Amino acid sequence: MQTEDFYDSIRLGLVAMVPRLQRFADVLAGGRDAGHGLLRRSLHHMLAQQHRYQRGTSLDVWAFGEIYHQWRQELSGESDPMSLAKIDDVAFGALFDDAETGYRDEPIVTFLVALPPQQRLTLLLVYGEGLEHEDAGRILDVSPEMIAARLIRMSTSLADRLSDRPPAQAAAIVETLYPEGHRATS
Amino acid sequence: MTELSDELLVAYVDGQLARKQTRAIDRVLEEDDVLNARVIALKHAHARLEAAFEAILAGEEAEISTIVAEPLDDGFWVPWRTFKIAAATAGVLIALALAVLGFGWPLTVPSIGSAPGVGAVPSVASVPDQVEIQVSPKPATSP
Repeated sequence: MQTEDFYDSIRLGLVAMVPRLQRFADVLAGGRDAGHGLLRRSLHHMLAQQHRYQRGTSLDVWAFGEIYHQWRQELSGESDPMSLAKIDDVAFGALFDDAETGYRDEPIVTFLVALPPQQRLTLLLVYGEGLEHEDAGRILDVSPEMIAARLIRMSTSLADRLSDRPPAQAAAIVETLYPEGHRATS
Repeated sequence: MTELSDELLVAYVDGQLARKQTRAIDRVLEEDDVLNARVIALKHAHARLEAAFEAILAGEEAEISTIVAEPLDDGFWVPWRTFKIAAATAGVLIALALAVLGFGWPLTVPSIGSAPGVGAVPSVASVPDQVEIQVSPKPATSP
């Protein structure tokens, strides 16, 4: 494949993925408007830096990673990054409205809005996009073990909340899937 | 009652376990209602998460398809934009054709009524060399 054709295919691939990229940016930025802005800036950056894309890399993994890096870069340039990372509950909740019926799963929205952005993205990448832990970790710059640890904590917490079950106690855990050294702390 | 960690159960629900481990847990779940209920709760939580994320994607796709499907312009038989371009092109071509045929520019067609000489540049011969201006003496003002 010629170089120009290769870069044209990147552009076309990104266009085809726009709805998925938009969802990723929405969940990360915490709303549709903020997500649109983040995706626009990220796409400009991706097209300008497309020579950094390596053949053989999954395009969606690369694109998701670029959006996440763009967001982190913008956060690092802020004097108060934590305030920028906070999201508007109303704008975030509106993302989940069913276009036809207007239904919204409030318990799920309430659960997600309270999570840090990286943890929301972990759930989106694994359960929304169906990515493997390795790819999700590559996007979010963490190890696959960290992704697994996040999923365990969030899945059990959500299941407890939805079934009104008290959180499991640490003493009840008698088997572990991962060695202690691989356990994540965040 | 058999005790299995949430780590193991989440990995089981996510399909991350080896086949041998999955079969072992299958057998445990057949005999343990409590663990089975826990697995069902985890699957239910995952299903609702997937549905919530799917709703966002559906909203984004609907928004994009609305933008793409929106007509650029309305018109009777052809879009207004096409009609405007065609009308402007036809006007320019007709004006050029009339100019070439000797009607001049701006157009002077007697039947249409454009006054002769309007807009025409006067020839040098028709311009008088001198212009006489009569100046009357200024009347004296009385004190």
